[in-house]
Amino acid sequence: MTELGLTHFLILSAFLFACGLLCIATKRNAVGILMGVELVLNAANINFVAFTRYLPGFRIEGQVFAVLVIVLAAAEAAVALAIILNFYNNRGTVDVDQANDLKG
Amino acid sequence: MPLDAELARLDATLAHDLLRFGPELLLCLGIVGSLFAKLFRAATRVQLVPFALLLTLVALGLVASDAQDSAVFGGLLRLDSFANFFRVFLLLTAALVLALTRLTGLPDATDSADFVTLLLGGTLGMMLMASANHLIMVFLAIEMASLPSYVLAGFLKGKGRSSEAALKYVVYGAAASGVMLYGISLLVGQLGTAYLPSAAESLGAAFRSGGFSLSLTAGLLFLFVGLGFKLAVLPFQFWLPDVFEGAAAEVGAMLAVASKAAAVGLTLRLLFVLFQHVPIPAVTETVSAALAGVAVLTATLGNVAALVQTNLKRLLAYSTIAHAGYMLMAIACIQRPAAAAVLFYLAGYLPMTLGAFAVVAVLRSLTGSEEIDAARGLLKRSPVLGVCTAVFLFSLLGVPPLAGFAGKFQVFTAVYRTGAFHAAGGHPWLGTLFNVVLAAGVVNTVVSAGYYLKVLKAVALDDPTDETPLGEGVAVRLYLLLLTAAVVVVGVWWDPLTDLTWRAAVGLG
Repeated sequence: MTELGLTHFLILSAFLFACGLLCIATKRNAVGILMGVELVLNAANINFVAFTRYLPGFRIEGQVFAVLVIVLAAAEAAVALAIILNFYNNRGTVDVDQANDLKG
Repeated sequence: MPLDAELARLDATLAHDLLRFGPELLLCLGIVGSLFAKLFRAATRVQLVPFALLLTLVALGLVASDAQDSAVFGGLLRLDSFANFFRVFLLLTAALVLALTRLTGLPDATDSADFVTLLLGGTLGMMLMASANHLIMVFLAIEMASLPSYVLAGFLKGKGRSSEAALKYVVYGAAASGVMLYGISLLVGQLGTAYLPSAAESLGAAFRSGGFSLSLTAGLLFLFVGLGFKLAVLPFQFWLPDVFEGAAAEVGAMLAVASKAAAVGLTLRLLFVLFQHVPIPAVTETVSAALAGVAVLTATLGNVAALVQTNLKRLLAYSTIAHAGYMLMAIACIQRPAAAAVLFYLAGYLPMTLGAFAVVAVLRSLTGSEEIDAARGLLKRSPVLGVCTAVFLFSLLGVPPLAGFAGKFQVFTAVYRTGAFHAAGGHPWLGTLFNVVLAAGVVNTVVSAGYYLKVLKAVALDDPTDETPLGEGVAVRLYLLLLTAAVVVVGVWWDPLTDLTWRAAVGLG
């Protein structure tokens, strides 16, 4: 049984990042896309926290970054949900494929 | 204890740092003030835009009188001549957009508090983008600039298209910033610091010890994906025409001028600071070549797609993509004279683009239409508006002696000199590349004549569908004449502005 190292966390975060990107690319529901974005942001957060644990000289910064990103993700979700709700009120759907009035 | 010493040092400079951060703090005051104004019933009937305009002008005065150059808040921000150029630029744009919204009546009294909050908030984020000196500040500033922009794009109440624009903007924007953050996390881990000057040293050391690792390359790539999205360069330009067509023209002006300028500033800063310790012939020139290729494709796509547009806002949207391409041509040089040329281009870009969007906003408020047909016979219906429109269009096209020509001339000269520099420095293929870029720039300018002259023909030669005078107010005329004067002055009288942009570019990195 090998000790858990930085690499394991980086692989986990890379996997989470890939899941998030896949979710963004394939979901047609706007809320689903937002969930994919949250996965991507949390993948970055895992990186920050892992670096805090394993890199000397990065003790405080990484944790501060993680807290800032959590707050920012909440703000972004609030704004995005408000905009999705506004779209729903106008169109009666949250399917991004139905957002096709603007093109050319 | 080094932490105590560090805290004592931060404490000693805090008052000085806060003073230099005064303009941003003033904007914060405006944001908080207009949020609180919503609490009082009497204040909800008051139009807050004039107050915000006043505040912005005071902040502008504060920045203009600031000539120091130092990192503040423990190195998180760098307020140098480069940052100050952009702070002045962004505050000026915010003030002009606020004035425009008063003239066209976009936010009514009940909405003005929300509009002011969002506009000042976005401006604050953009000012931080131009002065960020730390990777986490880069990300926070981009998000601070983006979140209000998403909402502003959907500001037209009850309009399906406006809400669709906001939805597309927020979905693509959130995805791009997520990818960018992941890139920053990889970079920070590999370089061991997020402070840009130290990160640049680690980057140089990493390169000297045998090239870039996979995660370092991926981190840099993801970082530039985020920047490319904000700049709307190929292949991340798809959101921009939809957002501009759906959003109000006033908001479009803000996004086209301020948001793009802040992204240009941040890109220049990152390129110059991050790659300063990397030996020139290797990585810097790979980056140069890649950016030059992207620049040519972006300008070409913007100009070709604009040829077939009939909606004025969509046409201007593709035109701004093309202009971002021209600016990227000079950014790709990664040389100080070229950076000065980009700043000069931006200074000319401000009045002509803002003017073009202002004309669309005025047309919408008076005729209710934003199609090219609404501009038919504008010269007969309103001579002042028609002449101003013609000046803006000629300047966007790059006809001397207007601002657009001066900017294009400086950018193309910088590209030519970079090509000659590389050819003389033993990199003939880079010399050839930049000469190709120059040729592409000139061909693009010729192509762009197709759609600018199409609008101009409608304005000047076509018979109006409705013969009645447009009846715009005196204030609208004065506003447009002011912007027209700025376009002419920048185009004729280069020296003071060239000095200013040189000084700003010297402060870079």
